[in-house]
Amino acid sequence: MSDLQAIVLALLQGVSELFPISSLGHTILLPAVLRWNNINRADPTFLAFVVVLHLGTALALLAYYRTQWWAIARALVSSVVRGKLSQDRNERVGWLLVVGTLPVGILGLIFQEPVRALFGTPAPAAAFLALNGLVMFAGEALRRRQLRLPQRADRPIEHLSFAQSVFVGFAQSLALLPGISRSGASMVAGLLCDLDHEDAAEYSFLLATPVILAAALLEIPKLTAPGSHVVLVQAIIGGIVAAIAAYASVAFLTRYFKSNDLRPFGWYCLAAGVICFILSRMGVLS
Amino acid sequence: MKPLALVLALAFFVIGLLYGLGILNFFTKSGAEHSHHFTHLVACWIIALLCLVWFRFQGSPSR
Repeated sequence: MSDLQAIVLALLQGVSELFPISSLGHTILLPAVLRWNNINRADPTFLAFVVVLHLGTALALLAYYRTQWWAIARALVSSVVRGKLSQDRNERVGWLLVVGTLPVGILGLIFQEPVRALFGTPAPAAAFLALNGLVMFAGEALRRRQLRLPQRADRPIEHLSFAQSVFVGFAQSLALLPGISRSGASMVAGLLCDLDHEDAAEYSFLLATPVILAAALLEIPKLTAPGSHVVLVQAIIGGIVAAIAAYASVAFLTRYFKSNDLRPFGWYCLAAGVICFILSRMGVLS
Repeated sequence: MKPLALVLALAFFVIGLLYGLGILNFFTKSGAEHSHHFTHLVACWIIALLCLVWFRFQGSPSR
């Protein structure tokens, strides 16, 4: 892997992990489109590189929401010490995040490897990317229909029920499929639970943080794989680039979703997915 | 529900230990790499910890 490839992949990871366009799908499709045949996704040194990129992304998310995470962690600890739930907003959000993280944790552990072995090639990734676009359109349409119903109004994150948090967590689990976006799926689920776009995005990013961080931390043993020191400098630079890109992305998206919706990302995913699927069926992508 | 929470916590602790020792291989990659067992160990112990939190929340009298 050249330095340029490392930086492009780091930028791609940092941006696409948070934009609702599927980072996993893009890390399969972009090297295929650019014909980077020298990159072997199963190579231990590449896996070590990816671990550092995820770590950079997670740290950027933690840094962006540092005040909130600190308040949530303190509220969670104090509720455990107290032994009962209170009406505190941070405590409520904290337990919603714990409950919402369980589905992706369990399903990821069981299905991650077989799903990636089955669908980790350009054609399925492209098909799922197009489906991801359709899911976003469907989510927006359903939300508009919900808002037309009487007595339906947006609610803040802390008013979600634990069942709804599990629902959003299950939606996030769909991102195990390459091409389905973690933030896109969880945002659509959040919208269907009556969150507005801004809160759905914030909840999606908060929910993604422990998952990305845990995935990176649990894969740290891969950094000790033979030969991984060869990519150490690339990995460190890549991690920093991914962190900066992720921080900029979350800052942009939180502002964007104050007054905009998912449809532009839906159009992008649909177009990119259809084009890549056709190219892969024609044998151009492999 | 308190005994159930404790039993589940204990069960997940033991299951995690068995994964860590390499005795259990369910839902792990074939070829059984060390890191994957480590992942299952940590995940099981996190669930065990959550069961203990559940136990703790049931320990206090409700107002």
